[in-house]
Amino acid sequence: MDFSPTPEQELLKEAVAGIAGHYGHEYFQEKTRQGAKPDELWSELGAGGYLGVHLPSAYGGGGMGVAELTIVCEEVAAAGCPLLLMLVSPAICATLIARFGTASQKQRWLPPMASGEAKMAFAITEPDAGSNSHRIATTAVHEGGRWALYGTKHYISGVDEADAVIVVARTGTEEATRRARLSLFIVGTDAKGFEARKIPVEIAAPEKQFTIFLDDCTLGEDDLLGTEGEGLRQVFAGLNPERLMGAAISCGIGRYALEKASAYATHRTVWDRPIGAHQGIAHPLAVAKIELELARLMLSKAAWSYDAGLDAGEAANMAKYAAAEASLRALDQAIQTHGGNGLASEFGLADLWGTARLLRTAPVSREMILNYVAQHSLGLPKSY
Amino acid sequence: MNVAVCVKQIPDPVEPYALDSNTHSLVREGKLVLDDSDSYGVEMALQLVEANGGGEVVLLSMAPNNEMGGLRTALAMGATSAVLVSDPLLKGSDALGTAKVLAAAVRTLDPLPDIVLAATESTDGYTGTTPVQLAELLGWPSVSFAKHVEISGGTVKVERQTEAGYDDVTSPLPAVITVTAGVVEPRYPSFKGIMAARGKPVAEHTVASLGLSADEVGFLGARQEVVSVQAAEARSGGEIIVDEGDAHASIVAFLEQIKVL
Repeated sequence: MDFSPTPEQELLKEAVAGIAGHYGHEYFQEKTRQGAKPDELWSELGAGGYLGVHLPSAYGGGGMGVAELTIVCEEVAAAGCPLLLMLVSPAICATLIARFGTASQKQRWLPPMASGEAKMAFAITEPDAGSNSHRIATTAVHEGGRWALYGTKHYISGVDEADAVIVVARTGTEEATRRARLSLFIVGTDAKGFEARKIPVEIAAPEKQFTIFLDDCTLGEDDLLGTEGEGLRQVFAGLNPERLMGAAISCGIGRYALEKASAYATHRTVWDRPIGAHQGIAHPLAVAKIELELARLMLSKAAWSYDAGLDAGEAANMAKYAAAEASLRALDQAIQTHGGNGLASEFGLADLWGTARLLRTAPVSREMILNYVAQHSLGLPKSY
Repeated sequence: MNVAVCVKQIPDPVEPYALDSNTHSLVREGKLVLDDSDSYGVEMALQLVEANGGGEVVLLSMAPNNEMGGLRTALAMGATSAVLVSDPLLKGSDALGTAKVLAAAVRTLDPLPDIVLAATESTDGYTGTTPVQLAELLGWPSVSFAKHVEISGGTVKVERQTEAGYDDVTSPLPAVITVTAGVVEPRYPSFKGIMAARGKPVAEHTVASLGLSADEVGFLGARQEVVSVQAAEARSGGEIIVDEGDAHASIVAFLEQIKVL
């Protein structure tokens, strides 16, 4: 068993850490405060080929796997710039297009997504169908050589900066089970009948959340992604990479927090010695470190399994759970270690709380993961 | 045009360094990284080649245990190939011993490079003498402390950093040039560059394959010996100037004293 990264993965880590470190958390904070996007960082990562490391080289990608993309995601977050859009645009959308797109869809979307010039959002969640995709109500009607979409999507990230959104819609119903037959559509954000409205949320991140209204949103035949009626099965191909990126961002935030906490506890002297010499400060940080490294280990295993073509569902879920919990603990303890400074803007910790906390809920909630593990790993009866 | 760059692979400066208690030499076992100060030479080489009609950038490195960690970084940045000299006999080499090895490494190149670039000094040893010794051994002119390098009509024009400003120096080619940190902004490797680095040729040499004898290099050949090591003096507290309306005068006097003004 070999746990060491390849020389290429080491170089990748070093290069991305260098690029993102050059920007750093202050840059990220400033962009967020202004309501702007971290475009310079995104563009530089794209120009270096880092947003498409997992995409086929024939379409401008790096020809490697999801393991490499998790490295990119984690390093950027560890530099204090967690990019939630990486979960969506490169991880789910580009993966789905690479797997199920036609040659012309791949040609149209993958090179600019790999270079960072194009971004895509992903719309599955609905007001009445959260984690239960079978109840999706958004409908696509096929008539006269075109598709028309009707429905509402909720909590869709990054629509304001996306060129298009992959929308999951109902194209029929299974006779036997009455479950929805789902299909995927690539919908331009400038399409007729497409409207997005911002949902105010208490998260200090450049990515915003939106409700999407689709009312007779007209699409061509070639806007269908993959096979009609196979949408759910296809979506599952993109969900594991999404979970892994969620885990990677959490791990990055955890590393960022612990690094700041260790530096502070080493230098901050209140009485006669640095506060880090006190076990009341040191032990909780050590616990956070252990939990973070365990999460990172599961993340590596899950990414490796996915790239090896093995069933990565269990490991991806476990990694996502462990990473979200570990990053929250690390960030909480880092804030505590800083005393009053932990809440001050200039120490750059408390503003990350919303993002770290979001990752306990999204892209799959902690409870849905526990359901999965109870049912699939432990063989317990299904609860829903 | 072809440019060779001397790149040193050093223990990661992020970790504390250790000295061998018998020889007082730096412990170099384990992972080595590209010396940051050499990343400027690599970048300069890539820019010179790009600006002068293309050519090759060849890396020259002497390192223990056939270590390639730092070479990979420079190959990923875009260098064409590398020459790596590794031999247990090289342990304990002083600056001159290193220069002999690098000169022999330069001579393995066909065609010979138009320019050999190096940093002004390494981050782990700081002797700053190897490049000029290398130039002497090759019989080539050397220009040190370059802050700007330009090729023009078969010569190289260098702005050479001095205490007062800089000198304009023109030298025939081939030449050895040392560049200062900050002379150019080293690029981050692209992912394509990283993946391509794996397939780039690295010619591995030993003391014997370079035609050197064992007593010219390493501890045997060293003309320099570290006889003792002492801890650096702790920094003193500095001088605090209290502003009673005249602080500017004290600060100007201080800056004049250290010749900044």
